[in-house]
Amino acid sequence: MAFTSAVPSAERLPVTVLTGFLGAGKTTLLNRILTHEHGLKVAVIVNEFGEIGIDNQLVVDADEEIFEMNNGCICCTVRGDLIRIIGNLMKRRDRFDHLVIETTGLADPAPVIQTFFVDEDLRDELRLDAVVTVVDLLHVQQHWQAEEVQEQLAFADVLVLNKVDLVDDEKREAIEKRVRAINPVARLLSAHKADVPMDQVLGVEAFELERALSLDPGFLAEAHDHEHDDAVGSVALAEDRPMDLDRLGSWISGLVSTRGPDLFRMKGIIQLEGKDERYVLQSVHMLLDGDFDRRWKEGERRRTEFVIIGRNLPIEDLRGGFAACVA
Amino acid sequence: MAAAVPLVSERLCGDLQQAISALAWSEDGEFLAIASAGGELLFIDFRAGCEELLRGNRDSSLDVVGFSGDGQFLMAAGQSGELLLWELGGTGIRPMALDPMPLGAGWIDAAAWQPGGLLLAVAAGRQLRLWDGASRQWHGQPLELPGTIQALAWSSDGKRLSACSHGELVLWRPWAHSPSDPSLRHTIPSAGLTLAFSAAGHHLACGLLDRSLMVWPLKDQGEPWQVSGFPSKVRHLAWSDRSGRLAPLLATASAEAVILWTQLNQGPKAWQPEPLLWHERRVNALAFSPGSTLLASASSDSTVALWDGAGQLLQPLEGRGSGFNALAWRPDGCHLAAGDAQGRWWLWPVAVPMGARLRQQAGGGVATRS
Repeated sequence: MAFTSAVPSAERLPVTVLTGFLGAGKTTLLNRILTHEHGLKVAVIVNEFGEIGIDNQLVVDADEEIFEMNNGCICCTVRGDLIRIIGNLMKRRDRFDHLVIETTGLADPAPVIQTFFVDEDLRDELRLDAVVTVVDLLHVQQHWQAEEVQEQLAFADVLVLNKVDLVDDEKREAIEKRVRAINPVARLLSAHKADVPMDQVLGVEAFELERALSLDPGFLAEAHDHEHDDAVGSVALAEDRPMDLDRLGSWISGLVSTRGPDLFRMKGIIQLEGKDERYVLQSVHMLLDGDFDRRWKEGERRRTEFVIIGRNLPIEDLRGGFAACVA
Repeated sequence: MAAAVPLVSERLCGDLQQAISALAWSEDGEFLAIASAGGELLFIDFRAGCEELLRGNRDSSLDVVGFSGDGQFLMAAGQSGELLLWELGGTGIRPMALDPMPLGAGWIDAAAWQPGGLLLAVAAGRQLRLWDGASRQWHGQPLELPGTIQALAWSSDGKRLSACSHGELVLWRPWAHSPSDPSLRHTIPSAGLTLAFSAAGHHLACGLLDRSLMVWPLKDQGEPWQVSGFPSKVRHLAWSDRSGRLAPLLATASAEAVILWTQLNQGPKAWQPEPLLWHERRVNALAFSPGSTLLASASSDSTVALWDGAGQLLQPLEGRGSGFNALAWRPDGCHLAAGDAQGRWWLWPVAVPMGARLRQQAGGGVATRS
């Protein structure tokens, strides 16, 4: 399924998806985005009118409505309400330059993300900038077993660890470690009352292929232990020998078709046999995007790095399948 | 491609501050209402030769507008979720606003007056509600759909009302069926986005999100046809009100493609497509000139195209570089109003070719070129 649009990304309106469990501080962050002097006119779609009382801002209410596209497969679900409301809102495109969508605390972020790639109108008129998840450092451990919490962590490009003032360093580090085990590629920001730098949450371009992995280039340097038995987790794969494109391609398509609903996101930089350029790829469930981005630099370590985030991942199978793709 | 004698040689235009979202004529063709994405509502009274801005720019879109069949009321609704009504006193008399009615169901973008009657159907979230202009009250119980109503339409005799959501289409006779009657509900495979009854009421067409078109034969209560493989969601539909051999001409818009459909038989492959490929960007509105097979299509490529019933491009009308959002033919069939994404509205007198107007009914949907 197509992941990108034929329309150049600069012509499309950036969209930030804001997720987070109840009480994590989504509304606080939203109010910061709306009042910050970043020079952007921001339109907001909320699922319930909370304490957003800022005048002269375009705030629209939408009732979450899931449309199943093909036999109820999670990979093809979209948010029908967003298709309709954004379709109406885009007639006023000159009135705003950034769109923020606040999801309910219990929402699975996947249908929201997929809407921007599956619906042809939205795909050509908007581009997903980043999924920003606000994490409540004080309470997250109580909700850790909630599937929604793990999904929101797994799909995030930016994780705002909020209420940092209310926890000690030891607790914060333990949470960071557990968060990192689920999602090793997201940008981590610590915040007090969601006071994050605006340029770290808006204009992130996390879904632009060339920037997909630029957030945390050292993500594989950290060793991840799997002491937590969270259903949602990640596998980081690395290989110094060049890979075979055909084998890698069929392995990945096989994974996506058999495990699509459990594969939340994949991101990778691939060293291909016989190519001087890096191949980059990313996915959301069954939506895949990949292309050559640039030549390997002089002196750069030519290396394949690949991260899979998902549910009930068969780690040894994945390692074996990946190793078999070496050229 | 253009016809030797131009169909359109003059125009009238004006500007609102934001994108035009909807246009509507009164039944007698004396009034035109124009709504914008900034919530402006312009009322033009042609007989009196005056216009009035009923609402100014207020940063809350209006997306649907319409006159009741008898010309007594003007309706508008949109982002605020309120139903707005004006009472009209006739030409030269200033419309009088009634109190706005908040419906509490979010953005309203589908509402329509009953042809020949005073019922106004409004899609309020998942509820299909009827406001009665005679009693000035809500009429009966709302009909509840399983999802947000995406589109609604009345049959031209005003007796049947249809609405669709994701997964369901209802076909309702508000006087005969209770809203809870299960027989009025039909399962559809995806979300219905647009609906239209043919003028004689023998067919109901629905354009769907899953790139398909469904057509129900209403006369013999048969199974619906489904045609798939469109380039994109089927966003707009229009029936010509000139009858054809088995069915009138049906036009669909999907991405930049307009397709004319002719019913050839009663079998499973009854509908023959004639693609009209000329627009370069998304087609946002379709309308047949009343009483003819002349079709107008409005596109984001900043043109309005006029086609004959055989799919020949007769004349492209250029805007001023911004996409067209909306179209409405005056009931006389000789004037076409359009609105663009920069807030300009246009009115073109159209010399409808004789071929489109006086086509033989037995022509089976293939019109001769003028």
